[in-house]
Amino acid sequence: MDRRKGYYLILPAVFIMCMFTLYPVIEGIRVAFTDKSLLRGSYHYIGYANYIQMIQDPIFWVSFWHSLILTPTVVVLQLVLGIVLAWTMKQKIPGMAIFKSLIMASWVIPVAATVTVFKFMAQPDVGFINIILTSLGLKEMVKYWFGVPEFAMPFIILLHLWRNVPFYGIAFLAAMQTIPISSYESAEIDGAGPFQKFWFITLPGIRSMLILMVTIHVLWTFNNFDFIYLATGGGPVNSTDVLPVLVYRQSWDNYAAGYGASIGSVMLLIMGLYFIVYLMIQERGEYKR
Amino acid sequence: MKITDLLNFNFNRKQIRIRNNITAYIIVVLSLIFFIFPMLWIFYCSFRTQESIFTAKLIPPLEGFTLINYSNIFSETDFPRYFLNSIEISGLVTLLSLIISILGGYGLSRYEIKGKKTILLGIFSTQMFPQVLMLIPLFILVFTLKLIDKKIGIVLTQLILVLPFCMWMLKSYFDTIPNDVDDSAKIDGCNIFQLLWKIILPIAAPGIMVAAFFSFVVSWSDYLIVSVISQSQSTATLTLIVARLSSSLNIRWGLVCAAVTLTIIPTLFLFSFVQRRLIEGMTAGALRE
Repeated sequence: MDRRKGYYLILPAVFIMCMFTLYPVIEGIRVAFTDKSLLRGSYHYIGYANYIQMIQDPIFWVSFWHSLILTPTVVVLQLVLGIVLAWTMKQKIPGMAIFKSLIMASWVIPVAATVTVFKFMAQPDVGFINIILTSLGLKEMVKYWFGVPEFAMPFIILLHLWRNVPFYGIAFLAAMQTIPISSYESAEIDGAGPFQKFWFITLPGIRSMLILMVTIHVLWTFNNFDFIYLATGGGPVNSTDVLPVLVYRQSWDNYAAGYGASIGSVMLLIMGLYFIVYLMIQERGEYKR
Repeated sequence: MKITDLLNFNFNRKQIRIRNNITAYIIVVLSLIFFIFPMLWIFYCSFRTQESIFTAKLIPPLEGFTLINYSNIFSETDFPRYFLNSIEISGLVTLLSLIISILGGYGLSRYEIKGKKTILLGIFSTQMFPQVLMLIPLFILVFTLKLIDKKIGIVLTQLILVLPFCMWMLKSYFDTIPNDVDDSAKIDGCNIFQLLWKIILPIAAPGIMVAAFFSFVVSWSDYLIVSVISQSQSTATLTLIVARLSSSLNIRWGLVCAAVTLTIIPTLFLFSFVQRRLIEGMTAGALRE
């Protein structure tokens, strides 16, 4: 009796997740083998044709490499800056409490708003960045920063940093505060320098938080669609195209749902491999303990 | 000899502390400029006329102050309707996700369920599914259910964005509440809903607040799902409108800044209530390992 109750309790959640998560993923993999279009009702199985088209599609490869480079770049930068920010917030200086309560604001505002803020800042005429450049006498550098292939991707990275670094900072701070001060004191007595203290005490102390943050942010960054779609749409000249944006464009702008789904399936495969590696690292960590 | 060593040691410590504090202040100032200033700039520009913004001066004369952008946004667009749509959709997502994940989280925390580990891992692994891939079948599913361009269609689909996290988090929150609490309530003759409502929920209130905040903000910020399921003004949300306003050809930045300001204020307002608890909840599990 009591045992059955548990199943009843998780039933609504399991139902919703099967219907709106599991089924769409499986169906998505199936659609990848069809010529489904959202304009027509009927469709046919076309075998691997979508995948062959994909391999021959230069835009796919551009997006593929962008995704594969962007994700680790963003996560590593966020990680390093997050640790710096956490260290800063750990210092006991006046005003830090206010700073801590303000700093995560960028994380809670909608991405559409974040993108708009940065688009406004990057405008050639009224944008803040260019106003500063003009007043410094660097008028020849003035441009629409999202509109230049060399600068569009760095600005996308800035967007990612702007949104997530404070979150990393606060999370690492929380983890650092669980490290007893006595470990630092005894290390100091043993003559450890700041670098050694960081490497041998702080880093192991925030280890599980670090793994968690990296794991979820690799998934989020790789799957992130709205930053790039709203900021540049993948342009200029495909310089910011990434896989999720390509999938969305193929399915909803070109109505090639089948082809879009095949690219999406490749994304799923890459994330699946990453997830397996994560599980292996996790397991090895548990053996160690 | 020994005494001078000790003195030196203290002297060095003081020096290091001063150096650390100066570094920390520099990072604080840089962080405020990078993370907070852009929001203030948007807020400030929402009170400037088009002419004032286009003078491209950093600090324009005060007579540029105006409320015209806010009155324009209410007279020219259906802003109040979009605002209400957003509130309605996010509110419903929050309510449903709380109900489902409280039941599910409690079930997973308290009852013996076959394959519990698999279920938990399954919930976590949904984070790796590309949303852009699931979107195609989701659209068809919502279409089949005749819920396209209906608020409930958006709500049901957005649930998948928040359920995994809320379940996971509430489960680990319930884990921290000792079983004795449940047992004594059961002896007093409480049924499971009374037990949850009267005993467990008050204790777990901080965790539930975080889950509610997360659900609300994720739904409020969602662009991906709304962009395909909403087809008319009757279901359009604020993020959709902000994205549209900021990608039109002749952008009126004053208007856009006002729209962005009105979009982010609710999330910042809610954030101010939960920010202390947020990290605790967001990273549930990672700190307690």
